[in-house]
Amino acid sequence: MSSSKLMTLEEAVSTYIQDGDHVGIGGLSFWRKAMSACREIVRQNKKHLSICTFVGGLEVDMLIAGECVSEVRSCFVGMEIFGMAPHYRKAVESGSIKISEESEATIALGLRASYLKVPFMPLKGIIGTDLPKVRNDIKQIEDPLGSGTQVMVVPKIDLDVAILHVPYADEYGNGNIAGAVWMDADMAKTAKKTIVICEKLVETEDIRYLPGKAQLPMQTTSVVVKKPFGAHPTSCYPFYTFDPHHIQCYLKTNFEEYKKKFISNKTHAQYLEEAGGVQTIFNILV
Amino acid sequence: MSEYSKDYTIDELMTVLMAREVKNDDIMIVGVATPMVWAAFTLAKVTHAPDAIYHYIMGNTFVAEPRQVSLLYLEMNTARAYRFQDSVECTLEALPSDKLTTIEFFRPAQIDQYGNTNNICIGEWDKPKIRLPGAAGILDFSMFYARGSFLYTPRHDKRTFVPSEKIDFISGVGFPGGKPSICGGLGPQCVITNLAYFDFDDDTKLMKLRSIHPDVELDKVKDSTGFELITPNELIETIPPTVKEIKLLRDKVDPLNVRKLEVLSGNERKELLEDIIQKELHKQNKFPKLLI
Repeated sequence: MSSSKLMTLEEAVSTYIQDGDHVGIGGLSFWRKAMSACREIVRQNKKHLSICTFVGGLEVDMLIAGECVSEVRSCFVGMEIFGMAPHYRKAVESGSIKISEESEATIALGLRASYLKVPFMPLKGIIGTDLPKVRNDIKQIEDPLGSGTQVMVVPKIDLDVAILHVPYADEYGNGNIAGAVWMDADMAKTAKKTIVICEKLVETEDIRYLPGKAQLPMQTTSVVVKKPFGAHPTSCYPFYTFDPHHIQCYLKTNFEEYKKKFISNKTHAQYLEEAGGVQTIFNILV
Repeated sequence: MSEYSKDYTIDELMTVLMAREVKNDDIMIVGVATPMVWAAFTLAKVTHAPDAIYHYIMGNTFVAEPRQVSLLYLEMNTARAYRFQDSVECTLEALPSDKLTTIEFFRPAQIDQYGNTNNICIGEWDKPKIRLPGAAGILDFSMFYARGSFLYTPRHDKRTFVPSEKIDFISGVGFPGGKPSICGGLGPQCVITNLAYFDFDDDTKLMKLRSIHPDVELDKVKDSTGFELITPNELIETIPPTVKEIKLLRDKVDPLNVRKLEVLSGNERKELLEDIIQKELHKQNKFPKLLI
């Protein structure tokens, strides 16, 4: 019989995320972001994190506003149709955080290189862009095997910890994602520690019958947290969509006020109440 | 004989022009926050390209069915896929495959006369005046799509159309130095703007005015472009949308006008955004309406 990996969110964040860590966040844009964990990171006042995410939005912006971040590696950080990510933009323009300019492939292949234990991966894209001018760890080389083809080589991306929000998990760490997986499975494989946060806790038997089974297998999961609506205000398919009103509220509100109202000393239940309670939940439920 | 519409808006004209670029066997790649592209592909799908397939990059999914354009529930659409891609597949393997022809529209913040584009920053990269969201997959694919890349912008002005020496960062590859990329892609095929339709000269690879939209003066196009445009001796007028195209777009494809968010600004945009959110939140059935 396996041991349960269930923990509270507070314990999981304080145990597995240290100042200065390289933290991978799953999901994409406004979809399936581990927002409850981001709020907890702000509450615990973690510092100097490097954040890696495929396509970032609110979660990156909030962690920057909460002064938890010193570096971001992502190929896009924005608020989709709602505009730019204000704190990200300000931090990059003022030079208060570092960024590692990425493409989709530098992240996908960087994570793959990491779990394959090779220092780099080759790819066909990027040639002709200015990316190598701002990344001295990305180089154009000729095929070392002699075909004469030019390729780009991009470095591995090692993560200390991955934080992934998924619809279903069992208490042993098998996670199932309904919908697109994006970089989540790669992050789980390569991060030294993986925090899986789920909407619904199910039994292993249920995981067997879910399409895709355990895309996040138990052997790479360090800890499981149950947190319904934990991705709010981003979405978690198939349960709820992103909350446009809350995203607009975030963009309109000075972060100190936002933090006081929605983050500091707030339980998850209090957060959801502040964010509109039952009516908001009815609005976003599929 | 098609009957042309006499009453259409600029977002409708651009959407129709983009739809006309789609071929029946294309994979149509829908990016993040580009409802005009989604509307164009869906219009193509319900008119001349019924076999074209959606690839939702934000879902990394392949989807066959057309659905009404939505702001809040795109994910419901992408999750109804017949195939999910894994991470590396999505970014590298399946899309540039020789078996597929793909069509993707990029919307650049800056574009030069060779179709090189910038979505990264305005000003120096390490001390930018404006940090833009980023270029995502444009850095990866712009140079090797077999059918080339497609560009659009509803903001045709000198801030967007800049000469090569003024482009702040090349994040999308056009015809660098007037030559095709060594990666084998066809390069940019067209630029569709609120003023005109452009393609690129076969020999010099310089941007060329192909047709000018109805009621737009040539001087207006020239004055809005930060480099010298190749213009034909005889101006050709852009073929306007047909009555049928406009009706489909308004009634079936995008009745909520989500595509208009790409062209409006200020209060008008704010009001439309609120209107779309209210209408969508009040829907009982959140799945975007199937159009088959």
